[in-house]
Amino acid sequence: MKKRNRSFVSLLIALSFVVLAVTGVLAFALPFSLQIVGLHALMGFVFIGIIALHVVNNYHHLSRYMKTRVLWATIVITVGLTGLFLWQPAPIRSFLKLSQNLGPATDRFEVQKEGLIYQYRPSPTYQMALNLRAGETFDVTTPPHVAIWLENASFYHIKTLREPDDLTAGRAALPYWDFKRRGWEAAKRQMETEGLDSKPTPEVDGVSGATQNSSFDPADYILPADPDNPMPYRLLVEIDQPNDGQPSLVYSVEIDNSIPRSFQLLDMVGFPKQEANDADGKEVWALYFVDDQFNSALELVDSGLLTIDR
Amino acid sequence: MPSKSNLLLPQPITAERYNSMTNTQHDNGRRNFLQKSVLGTAAAGLAIASTTHTTAQTVQDASEPEIMNEIDVLVIGGGTAGHVAAIQAGRAGAKTLIVERNSQLGGTTTTGGVSFPGLFDAWGKQIIAGIGWELVKESVELDNGKFPNFAKVPQRHWQNQVFTNQFLYAILAEEKCAQAGVEIAFYEFPQTVEQTSDGWQVDCVGFGTRRRVRCKQIIDCTGGAEVVGMLGMPRLREEERQPGSFLFMLGKEHQPGRNQIHRLYVHGADSTNSRTATEANLTGRKSVLARVRKEKKRLMHMQPETGFRESYRIEGETLITVNDYTSGRLFEDAISYAFYPVDLHTKTGVRPKPLKPGKVPTIPLRALIPKSSKNIIVAGRCVSSDRLANSGLRVQASCMGMGQAAGAAATLAAKMGTTPLEVPLTKIHALLREHGQIIPGKA
Repeated sequence: MKKRNRSFVSLLIALSFVVLAVTGVLAFALPFSLQIVGLHALMGFVFIGIIALHVVNNYHHLSRYMKTRVLWATIVITVGLTGLFLWQPAPIRSFLKLSQNLGPATDRFEVQKEGLIYQYRPSPTYQMALNLRAGETFDVTTPPHVAIWLENASFYHIKTLREPDDLTAGRAALPYWDFKRRGWEAAKRQMETEGLDSKPTPEVDGVSGATQNSSFDPADYILPADPDNPMPYRLLVEIDQPNDGQPSLVYSVEIDNSIPRSFQLLDMVGFPKQEANDADGKEVWALYFVDDQFNSALELVDSGLLTIDR
Repeated sequence: MPSKSNLLLPQPITAERYNSMTNTQHDNGRRNFLQKSVLGTAAAGLAIASTTHTTAQTVQDASEPEIMNEIDVLVIGGGTAGHVAAIQAGRAGAKTLIVERNSQLGGTTTTGGVSFPGLFDAWGKQIIAGIGWELVKESVELDNGKFPNFAKVPQRHWQNQVFTNQFLYAILAEEKCAQAGVEIAFYEFPQTVEQTSDGWQVDCVGFGTRRRVRCKQIIDCTGGAEVVGMLGMPRLREEERQPGSFLFMLGKEHQPGRNQIHRLYVHGADSTNSRTATEANLTGRKSVLARVRKEKKRLMHMQPETGFRESYRIEGETLITVNDYTSGRLFEDAISYAFYPVDLHTKTGVRPKPLKPGKVPTIPLRALIPKSSKNIIVAGRCVSSDRLANSGLRVQASCMGMGQAAGAAATLAAKMGTTPLEVPLTKIHALLREHGQIIPGKA
């Protein structure tokens, strides 16, 4: 019985460790996902319980190890790594930058009869709250498809903050976000295969164009390494009410941390329309100014307020 | 000073004269085509450089250096605002002369090579039309060019600039001047400007020409308010100007009205006077030469002059502030819309600050009138404004809108025997509307 219990605990430890390891890597590599991080955290709690049983089963061996010099070596290594990871010198920060998750990001999305609330907290000192106040045609029982994402000043998607709940239907209903995100994923794949040289290069326009910025790393915008030289970025929302016979609408707001503002209203930009493919045969979508095909869709959102606590 | 007796009255280039000139060209063209066909058959395989013949109209008493004009409206500067002002004045019935120091009309759009004027639209609607748009539209259509889709939300403001064939534009501007009865005087610039009891006496100088002009109204479209400066009226000027742009094409063919063109910043470019403008052009061309040597590519195209962004602005009856501009303030005496980001170029480039959705700035008549002046109005980038507002107001569509308004106000003032500020705004609006312009705040 005791032996079976021991083997049961050991196998459970091994399998839960596999889940923890995989979700840990995914949580590091992918944009924030409540499913992955939630699985990782909850499995972690289970793991703690099983480890407790494992310690009980192996107390005799462990107490023997504690009397050896190995104990001190393991304590030194553990304390050293903990200190190093807490201190986060430049090489560690560089490695963490590879994460798409921006560390301890948490987000919350709620649909209420008053509208939609989205909160995003990429760091303890930076919190966004987006409040889309319900318009006259907003119906909480059939909530609209919504996607929220960030773009850099060169209009490249850099991070999807909120995917639609029904991803399949949402991608069809929110084609502009879907197009932007697919473009971003393709660019990332290209960069991975061809290296950094394939990254779009900024160009200074000597007549009238903008000096563009082109980083794809959301951390460069939200939590820049050089706070004195932040880069502006945009938050976009695409929203569509199913079965209203009207295209989705896109709202946006520019965020410039060099001119920190606590409250900003979103502006309606337009609606998406597919264009003819470009010279390379690539799919193209553009936004158009709202025309007379719109009626109830214009009343879906009364106003959009972005609040940032820095 | 020339005595009045030996001043000659020249013949303006009227529509009939212009048409007869262009007809001559067509006849010669047909003849030449036949000639070329025969030669082509006889000398197949040989490269033959052909020449189309045309004959310039004889200038009456061309050997006389001194001439005189008695006119209603004198437009000084044939650039982006000037030729539109002159066409408006001519079409409204004013006897009009336009004096231009260079060899063609159009200014920045043609000589400067910034042949992608804008912005005529804002937020999906056209906001500037009239004579400027008529010229741009005809140039594009004649050139089988393309217009931006104004219903589409531009990611960058310049996506709604209209690629225009600068050469066609310049010729069409001349044709429209001729059709409006406007006399054109190239290679001339005012030397003295004196106030008279009923207007102005302006002495202009060109090579081999001394021209005395008596006019009721002056429209100063020199860019830097040169005439206002000659009259000793106050002007504003920054310690450091925005860089100019020198346009050229290196290593590949330039197709006017189609493709982007290479450009370089000329820092310190200043159109304050002929000496500073000379220096800017020399610097620009020297840089182009250096690039040719470095990149070892063919120089396929080069504009004759730097495109200048900034020199003097007038102190007007009112001043447009950047807050007026960005908030889209509707002035009570608004005569034109304007639309462009706040777009201040610096040594490190430019980061345009787009206007907030729905905002469309307006230009008041008083911002075109030098403070406490009579019988003179300006149009173009010298509009009375602070520097940041000016960085958005200075662009071509807005200057065209100002030009047409100045042409209308000056013409009405000349007819009514008053000064532009005293002309009832309703009359200016009515005349502008009659000539296709969009009036701010009026459906």
